[in-house]
Amino acid sequence: MSDISAYVPRKEDFRLKNETEELGLDSNFASQNFWKEVVIRFFNKRSAVIGLVLILLIILFAAIGPGMNDYTYEGMIQEEKNLAPRVSWLEKFGIFDGSETMTTSVGDMEVNKYEDAGLTDTYYWFGSDIYGRDLWTRCWSGTRVSLIIAIAAAFIDMLIGMSYGLISGFFGGKVDMVMQRFLEICNGIPRLVIVTLLLLILKPGMLTIIFALLLTEWVGMSRIARAEMLKLKEQEFVLASRTLGAGSFFIIFKEVLPNIVGPVITQVMFSIPTAIFTEAFLSFVGLGIPVPKCSLGSLISDGYNSFTTHPYQIIPPIIIMALLMLSFNLLGDGLREAFDPKMKEM
Amino acid sequence: MKKYVLKRVLTSIGTLLAIVLVLFILMHLMPGSPFNDEKLTDVQREVIYAKYGLDDPIVVQFGRYVVNMCKGDFGVSYKISKNTPISQLIETRLPISIGIGFYAVARGAVIGLILGLLAALKRDTIIDTVCTIVSVIGVSVPSYVFALGLSYTLGFKWKIFPMLYDSADALGSSVMPSIALSMFTMASIARFTRTEMIEVLGSEYMLLAESKGLSGTKLIFTHALRNALIPIITVLAPLVVDLMTGSLVVEKIFAIPGVGSLLVNAIQSNDYNVVIALSFIYSAMYIVIMLVVDILYGIIDPRIRLGKEGD
Repeated sequence: MSDISAYVPRKEDFRLKNETEELGLDSNFASQNFWKEVVIRFFNKRSAVIGLVLILLIILFAAIGPGMNDYTYEGMIQEEKNLAPRVSWLEKFGIFDGSETMTTSVGDMEVNKYEDAGLTDTYYWFGSDIYGRDLWTRCWSGTRVSLIIAIAAAFIDMLIGMSYGLISGFFGGKVDMVMQRFLEICNGIPRLVIVTLLLLILKPGMLTIIFALLLTEWVGMSRIARAEMLKLKEQEFVLASRTLGAGSFFIIFKEVLPNIVGPVITQVMFSIPTAIFTEAFLSFVGLGIPVPKCSLGSLISDGYNSFTTHPYQIIPPIIIMALLMLSFNLLGDGLREAFDPKMKEM
Repeated sequence: MKKYVLKRVLTSIGTLLAIVLVLFILMHLMPGSPFNDEKLTDVQREVIYAKYGLDDPIVVQFGRYVVNMCKGDFGVSYKISKNTPISQLIETRLPISIGIGFYAVARGAVIGLILGLLAALKRDTIIDTVCTIVSVIGVSVPSYVFALGLSYTLGFKWKIFPMLYDSADALGSSVMPSIALSMFTMASIARFTRTEMIEVLGSEYMLLAESKGLSGTKLIFTHALRNALIPIITVLAPLVVDLMTGSLVVEKIFAIPGVGSLLVNAIQSNDYNVVIALSFIYSAMYIVIMLVVDILYGIIDPRIRLGKEGD
């Protein structure tokens, strides 16, 4: 004991816990517009910007890609099927020169079908498929279809889910009880089952897929809207509006709604990749867009049938889809942090 | 606690009944019957309808339907293998699918936990960045893309694992499908663990434990990880659903004789009875898992059940 009492603590014995650069930096900021701050925070996050740029690029190609050469998405040329990718300015370097490695029983061999068939002036940038259709055109028109489906589904479910959640949260009591029990039952049915069954009784097509997607996606959106409403409805500005004689629907859609735009937009960004994935899955199972139209999912499904012999047919749609889903996830993450800096990334 | 469990069980039963009703209505709405053969005369059709009980009033059919579903009797398959009871078809396939799903969840959870833990402990270092990139890719890329990639490289080029399912080598054949399926689970759990760990590590009780002089491993495993694990249970239920959807396509790619590929076949050949039986099984499994997770969560974290009883 005497040892301890005799010990005189030195400065080096102590070290400050959680010493970071932010500690003690207490600076004043001029008050700023909310949206301006959101934009600044968003552009400070590199991954989110990468996501945004990728999405814009893909949308650009989906818009102009199919028109960049003379092929159409449904035009079949019997003599020019299963051609490997060939790009005019890259073939000098020995890549994308239209040759592919065929694995046969006697071993691997390199063939160039363009030369064999005497097609010296034909270029398929992504190759052509088993019916002789240009994969470049098909990929980008497929991307267009997938994007339209996903974005339409996400926005319609935003409208439905948001209204449902806001109304349920605002009125509370019995209304909320009934609406929440209904939602629990809807949520208890696996998405897979709803979509599959719906597509069995309706004719496959773009509208059906959008309908199936929005039936399954609105639950998440309504939960977020309800939670936000419960937080906001006790606040003074709602009381003030009510005192001034505003009706319930005015308060819900004009007073509260503008204050929850952030979480809602974030949720939309996350439901778009889910929609793209579900559409791709449906195509793979055979319930997707009817031929000759195509989507990313149906292209992957077509390419799958010959992916051991002609792997180049499945690679472009897979890469586009993976990039699309990745960038929407990155964008969603970035937006969430930009709207709510207190929330940590998940 | 009892009240909470009872409420959850009742909701689950209600959901299941609602599903059976939806399935039953859908079955009657579906276009094209398996007996849509033009060669059949009216008399022959009546005989077939009577044989399968399709000429009874709707209410009687529904009552019989609910009773049969609960007994596990789903009727017979009309198309895929004629007149075979569906329960018999499912009996052999369900264990295969559950086995692969179990491998996938177990592998995904363990690797995800390790990745998330590493990322949180080595925050803002290169390890953290790598873990984050891996988990973002895992969440974004659909499982069948991984399946195709694995099947092409490991299966077709290098021939390490069989490309198609081989019942003689069940363990080896389920390696690739379960890896493909586990990617999403792994990535989600890694992200979630990282967030939770960072929050726990910054809490005041961790500061107290550290200033008491506890060793590093004890600090992390008994104090931090245990508290971080609690919320992770909640993500397991949605993960199982994604696993179900993923398994359909992955089973098709690897030609696995499981329930997923049976469902795909049934959809494509309009075998309604099989589709409905499988939808029922999928829904029932999902509801049971949700129920178990909710009750488990209520036991572990009393705030949840108190909060729910409160409203």
